[in-house]
Parts: sequence; structure tokens; C-alpha cells
Amino acid sequence: MIKLDPQILTKIQLGGLPDLRYYLQKAVELEHSTIPPYLTAMFSLKPGVNHTIATLIHSIVVEEMLHMTIAANILIAIGGRPEINKRGFIPEYPGPLPMNIGDLIVGIEAFSIPLVQNTFMAIEEPEDPIHIQPPPTFAAAAQPSYATIGQFYDAIEKKILDLGSDIFVTKTAPPQVVNHHWFPPSKLFPITGPEIACAAIEIIKTEGEGTSTSPFQSGHDPAHYYKFGEIVNGRRIVRTPNGGYAYAGEAVLFDPAGVWPLKPNCKIDQFKKGTQARTRIERFAYSYSTLLNSLHDTFNGHPERINAAISMMYDLRVFAVSLMETDALAGGGLTVGPSYEFVDTAGGMPG
Amino acid sequence: MSYLDSPRLHFRGWFQADVSTINNDVRFFQNASFVPEYQQLNQNDKGLIQNNWNPEGTGVFRFLDCAVTSLDGITVQNATARAPGKLVDLDPQQQMVSQIWGMQIRLVDAAGKTLVQGEYKPAAFTNLWLRQQDEGLPNDQQLAAVYQSVIEGVQWFDISRFPLLQSLQSATQAGQLSINFNVFGYSRNNMVPRYTMGHVVGTIGPYLQGEPKQFVRGRQFIYTGNWPVPAGGMGNMQAKVSSNGNTVTADFGNSFPIERANSGLKDIGQVFLGVLATNPPTILSTVSSGQVALIGEVPYCTGGWYDRTAGVVDFELNSNARQLIPANPLVVVSPAADGSYTVRLQETIDGQYMRADNFVYRIDPGQTQHIEFYADRFGAPIANATINLSVTQGFMGGAGGGKTVQPVTRPRAAIPAIATPADAVQWPTSVTADNQGHATAPIVASAEGPGTPRGYLSSQIYGIGYQLASQPAGYVSNPMNYVSILAYSKKEAPETPTWYRDIQYLFTQYGNLYPIMGRYVVNLADYHDVVRRISILELAFSLPIEEPDHMPVTRDLGAGDRATILKWLRSRGPDGLPPLGTPSQSPPVPPPIVDEQAEAALPELRPEQAAGKTAVLLNLEKRGRIAPFSQKGPSK
Repeated sequence: MIKLDPQILTKIQLGGLPDLRYYLQKAVELEHSTIPPYLTAMFSLKPGVNHTIATLIHSIVVEEMLHMTIAANILIAIGGRPEINKRGFIPEYPGPLPMNIGDLIVGIEAFSIPLVQNTFMAIEEPEDPIHIQPPPTFAAAAQPSYATIGQFYDAIEKKILDLGSDIFVTKTAPPQVVNHHWFPPSKLFPITGPEIACAAIEIIKTEGEGTSTSPFQSGHDPAHYYKFGEIVNGRRIVRTPNGGYAYAGEAVLFDPAGVWPLKPNCKIDQFKKGTQARTRIERFAYSYSTLLNSLHDTFNGHPERINAAISMMYDLRVFAVSLMETDALAGGGLTVGPSYEFVDTAGGMPG
Repeated sequence: MSYLDSPRLHFRGWFQADVSTINNDVRFFQNASFVPEYQQLNQNDKGLIQNNWNPEGTGVFRFLDCAVTSLDGITVQNATARAPGKLVDLDPQQQMVSQIWGMQIRLVDAAGKTLVQGEYKPAAFTNLWLRQQDEGLPNDQQLAAVYQSVIEGVQWFDISRFPLLQSLQSATQAGQLSINFNVFGYSRNNMVPRYTMGHVVGTIGPYLQGEPKQFVRGRQFIYTGNWPVPAGGMGNMQAKVSSNGNTVTADFGNSFPIERANSGLKDIGQVFLGVLATNPPTILSTVSSGQVALIGEVPYCTGGWYDRTAGVVDFELNSNARQLIPANPLVVVSPAADGSYTVRLQETIDGQYMRADNFVYRIDPGQTQHIEFYADRFGAPIANATINLSVTQGFMGGAGGGKTVQPVTRPRAAIPAIATPADAVQWPTSVTADNQGHATAPIVASAEGPGTPRGYLSSQIYGIGYQLASQPAGYVSNPMNYVSILAYSKKEAPETPTWYRDIQYLFTQYGNLYPIMGRYVVNLADYHDVVRRISILELAFSLPIEEPDHMPVTRDLGAGDRATILKWLRSRGPDGLPPLGTPSQSPPVPPPIVDEQAEAALPELRPEQAAGKTAVLLNLEKRGRIAPFSQKGPSK
């Protein structure tokens, strides 16, 4: 579970508009920070096998992108400017996610059941997970003083309502990103006032954690925590006759042979200039940085550039292939994994 | 004005051309005979498809580690907020005019700030030659070439610290810049770090409105010998005399041989630029010291010269040379032991040179496009020049770059004849230039298009040869100077397109040839997978052709086919998905009209030769379309 410093809640409660903007920028960073680890796990699944798992992770990545977009739109709506193309925007992997003070360390690794169970489920864990039979083996240790992501978003909602419609700017803000080619109007809509901002935040909370009474965020679509639970337990969630829930549905098969054996937490500097590993990891990192640049433009006055950003997401998928096929020269047959360092120069060959 | 004018800046570094290789043989476009084995990486002669050296190529063309050598800390880079450019063959039966599409070019300062930014106008390489003398590593590409185009839509940011860029900004016109870059030392060997990469050395200079964009109106040197091996050991080049007649600027950037990919220029002894004392009616092989006025030595062996200058040299002319240069050919010579000079390169006979600026066209039925010709003699316009146009197949046709497929495709895929039907694309037999030596010739595609004479391809290719009516006897032309046209077949988007009738064939073909897409993004042969990715496919198929992520990346589908695909992606059946239709709707694929000569002449290639450009040349050689040339293969 991501644990925030309780002082953050106090700062939001007692602070004014600048603090609210500051923490919405943090929300953008937090929502983004889950994408690299999830994306890497998804990329590491070889085509043709583990299809259901890849589809489940893909659906979560898409929703994290939606959450990042919603947070950025709210920030824009209250006169802020999302800052996305800067070095500190991407957290250091392995490391804590933005604002987290708990001991959860998130790295960039190939897919594995323990990764999903110990890291991804921990990222998405609600404050009070609904008991699903059989329960996930993962157990959270009680910690005395921390705030949850849910509380963080609650505090933001409350502050927005407190400050009221005066903080919502119309003419001075760059346009929000409201593109229904990629997200339906029920999930992505213009943020024009306090109530609608709160409704949008509820989407983030529900898709991530579910509701307090159901693991499903809507229909039969489980929230992230429970989707990862389905992967770990090898079964989809179904309702039980007694009104509860069980991992007893359709099988979610995992074939361990269908995963690229990525060296964990690869960094550009670990590879010598002029090697295939180096040029390929640099190409990936440069492309990821390009994606962030295009997103920055998207959220700073050029919403139409969302198309270039989405295209880059698919390009990344393709660029990951040759990378993951490259020997990391680390022994054990490990291959090169992606790096999400912010890079502003295409390179990797000797001068 | 062009990159040969001042101010100019030079850069050097690396490029990546991550081209895919399955489409190097036209026969793999036939779906009915395609087997998954054709998608396997194969760097040798074992297996089904020889030297399929990069089946998972992405098509990406990009610069990396490119530094401006005349401005400390400045780099040349591609787009920073969108996808990199793509390198695209015109057609499997015309792989000798590959163009770069969607490439943004930026000059960036040491702090990562963009100083200048614009879009490379798609242009093909030319002046291919066997530049790398040593065989080098297995699968080294010994051939090299040059790209010249303009950068369009140039934006200038804060260049206040850079006087050179400021003067470039004031010298250039029409929001464009001229760019020229030489590519060499490329590797197709997946075991070496250079795999899919090579060296690039280039120049950026001003562009003047009204000038051609893909070559310089000036003095042109075309090598003799068995193309692509120059008799004089040096590749084609161009030069320009300044308007006051005091200076000549010559570009040796694609002219000096290299020993190996990373060796730098090969020492071939002293090399001078000179001007002949007369205007001979032939290309000379040696001249006496009295027949040539030396202009200056090319200091190509000086350390760092090539990186620093990209091979572009300014020579001051002495009074003798100044007098000779307006009416006599320039030469590149090396001293011989007996006091005479060996002529390595000579300006075209009588200084005559006429060229089509852009020489690659994609045309839809009913469309008209225009070729721009420029005719000069010793760099001065030939007013009212007559330009004759003719049918040519140039380096087109045949199987493409593939070796005999073992076993043959099942069912056998015929090698289509090209340029048929002849009347689907028309052009005048001659055009007349204006008083500035400029002429325009329309290319008109018939309203009905070519049909599908190639059967499994929905297009046809055509070639137009061109020459000056005044061209002297014995004139040595550049064999790459002809116009290549891809004429798309006509396709009317039906009222309700269905998967089986309108989409499946094209998507399956694309998925076969570009497995990087089919395996990792969307399985294009599978309706159910395709309809899961409607949004991204709709975006890619609706992007303008100039965008890097335009689909198809190969830019080989006509407007009709693309409109049909888009219409299908946007239509919804009762189940909320694009209509599937029924298998019985799948139209039969017509058999291609066969190129019997190509079928009969399929050469047996050594494995290291059976790849891309090299194989195209050997194919042409076998069919008697070019004279024999020897490319050394790896000794082991």
C-alpha cells in the first residue's frame, strides 16, 4: 500500500490554491509513476502466450493514463501548468513512488507473479481490501501513522469544494485534454467546476481501488488491485452465491516460458557506448522522453498532440522488442530491460 | 543558393536505418504462398529465405550522436516530441529510390534547447557507388550514397549567441534550408554494434527560392566505368562557381573511397581539382600538365578534414582558372609518375547537365503531378532547351533483392512485369525549357488507373527517362537519373466495406511483411485482434503521408484503398464492430502479368550478396541491364 506522510493532508487542508496546484502536480506524477513498471511487465510478455495477463495489464495502463489525464485537467482547470518533461518527473527506479513514505520500493522488472503480488498489488491496495476467497497471500502490516491515496484524493476533493468555483479559470488556462477518440465521455470530460472535478477524482479512486463494497469498478470490470489479484490467483473474480467474491472464474493462465528474462532495473550507464545494448536502451529511453515531451505539449496548450503521444506509446512497444532480445552480458541469459531515464539527446555510438 | 553556398555548417555522426527486409522480394507479397518461415531472421544461406537480415525492422531512420563540427556543443537531432522518421522503398520492384519520410531535423545547443527546427522534405538517395573498398565484416554494406533535400517550415528560436546561425537565417529564403548528407559504412550484420547503423557526414546551408531542392545547379561530375564501380576510383560529385567567378566550391563528400566502415577515407594519393584548358568531346582518362590548370589540392588526408568539412571545399581561382572555368570542364586529377595526370572524375561533356529535381512520384488515378527539370551548361541555364522524355525501366523490375526462394513459394509467386498497361500513366514526349532552363512536365494518371496487372499488388510502377535534345554524342549520363512512378490502382470505397471483401487481403499482406507490427501491436491477419485496436489503426490510417506514423509505413496504398480501410474502421455493424462479412465475399486475386525475362534470369547469389541493394544490382547485372561489376564478398 502506498503510504503518504499525513502532513500532506494537513498541508492540503490548511493550504491555499498554490498548495492545491502543487499536490495536483504530485498526483500527475504519482499516476504516471505506475506506468513504467506496469508497461515493462506487459512488454516482457512474449506474443502468443500469456495473452489474458497482457490484456489485464494493458487495461490498467490505459486507466493510469486516464487518471494522469484527469489529474492534469483539474490542474489546468484551476490555472496550473502540468510539468511533465523534466528530469525529476520520472521517479528513480528502483525507489519509492512519489510522496510515498512507506517501504514499498518499485523497480523496472520483467513480469513475474511475485512482482505483481508484492509490488503491483501493494501499489494498488485499498485501505480496506474486500475479502476475496481464496484471499491473496499478500498481507499488509499495520502501520501507525500514514495517509492513503484515497485520503489524499479525498483531501483534494474537499479542498476544491472549499475553495469553490472561483479557482476555476476559463480563459487563462490552456485547453484541457478531452479526446473521445481515446477515452469515452463518461470518463473524460471537461473540468469546469468543483463538483465535476470531484466526480472525475472519484473515477480515479474507483478504477484504482474499487468501492468499499465491491471489487468491481463497474459491471464486471475489477479495480486494479483485484485485477492484479486475478493474475496472482490465476482466476477471474466472480460473485459467490452468498454475496461474496471468489477468484473462481475463468482461468488466467501464466506460462513462465513466455517472458523475456530482463535484467532488472537497467540503466543506460550500465552499457558501453557502441554496443547494441547501449544504442537500444538509449533509443528506448529517448523515445520515452519523447513521449513525455509530447504529453507536456499536449497538456500545455496543444491537446491535439495527444495523438502523437499515443503513437509514441505504440512505437515504444515496438522499440522494446529489439531491446529485450539483446543479451545484457550479465550472465544467466538475461536480456536488456527498458530504462525510463529522461534523455534529451539521441545517442549511444562512440564519438 | 544551396548547402554549397555560405554560410554553411557541417555535421558528422551516425544514422540508423532500421529497415525491414521481408519486402525486399516482391514474391513475398503474395499472401497465398506466404509461410511464417519467411519471417525468420536469417543472416546466411540456410533456411527458406536467404539473408533476411532484419525481418523485424521498424522502418525508422534517425540521426544519432550527430555533432555540428563547426559549432562547439551544437548537435543535429530529430524530433523530440514525436516519432522518428521512416526510410521507405518506393516498391519491391524499385528499391533504388528509398526516401526518408516524416523526419524532423533540429539544431540543439549544449543545454538541450532547440535553436532551429524544420521538416526534411521527403527525398530519395542518389549517386550510389561501391565506396567501401575492403569487404570488411560479413554483411557490411559496401555501397554508399547521398541524400539532398530541403528542410521546410524552418523555425528559429533563440540564436542570439550564434552569429553563424544568424547569418544563415538572413541568407536563406522561403522558410527553408538546404541539406545534404552522405551515408556510408552501414552494417546488416546482427552480430556487430553497427547493425542497422552507419556513418553520416553532412552539410546544412541556405536555400534560395526557385532553386532545385535535390541537387545543385552547377557543375556535375558523373563517373565512368561499370556502374556502381567508378573507373577513376571516386564517386559522383557536384561543384558551384561563385557568382563573381572568383571561387569554386566542390563537394567531395560522397567521392572519396573508404577502406572499411570505420576506417575513415582511404589514402589514394594526391588529388587536385583542376580545369581543362579545352572543352573536349570525350571523357579523358589522362591529361598532360599543359591540358589542365590545377585549382587546388584536396587536403582529404589531413586529420579531421572530412568531419570538419563534410568534404566541401572552397577554392580561390587564379586568373588563368577564372578565364577557363566558364567554358571548360572541371576535373579531379591525381599526378602520375610521368608528369601527366590521371583523370579520376570529369565534369559532364560540354558541361551539359539536365536533371529532374524530384524523381520519385506516387500517383492516384485521375491525378496530375509535375516533374521539374533544370538544364544547364557549365552551370549556366540553357534557355529554351528541349528535353526528351522516354519510357525506361531504369533499375526497376525483377524480383527485387531476393535470392531464389528455397523451396519456391507455394503456390509459386510469379514475378510481375512492370510498366503495363503502358497507357495508365502518360507524359509528354518532350518539353521545352523557359529562358532560365527550367521546364515542367506533367505526369497524368488515367482515371481508371493501371488496374491490377501485378495481381497480388494494387499498384504498378513506371519509369521515365529524360535527356537533353542537344546532348552530345558519347555523353556519360548518371544511370540513376530517371523518374520513378508508383501508380496506385483504383478502388472505390463500397457502401459498407467488410473485412472479408475489402480489408483482409491488404491487412494480411501487411502483417506478413511487417511482423514487428503484427506480432507486437496488432495481429493484422486476425479480425478479432484488429477490432480490438480500432482507435490506433484509425489514427494511423488517417495521418497525412508526411507524418512518421502514417499507415501503411511503406506508403504503398492508394487513396482508394486507404479510404476504404478508414471507412471500414469507422463503420459499425449490429454488434458495434466494423462489419466482418462472409468468407465467400473474399475477391479472387488476379494472376499477375509475368515478367518472363526476370523469371528466367533469377541469379544465384552468394549469401552475403543476397540482400537489398546489392542483390538488386546483381539481379540487374544478370538480366543484362547493367554491366558486370565486382563486389568483393567476405573471404571467410
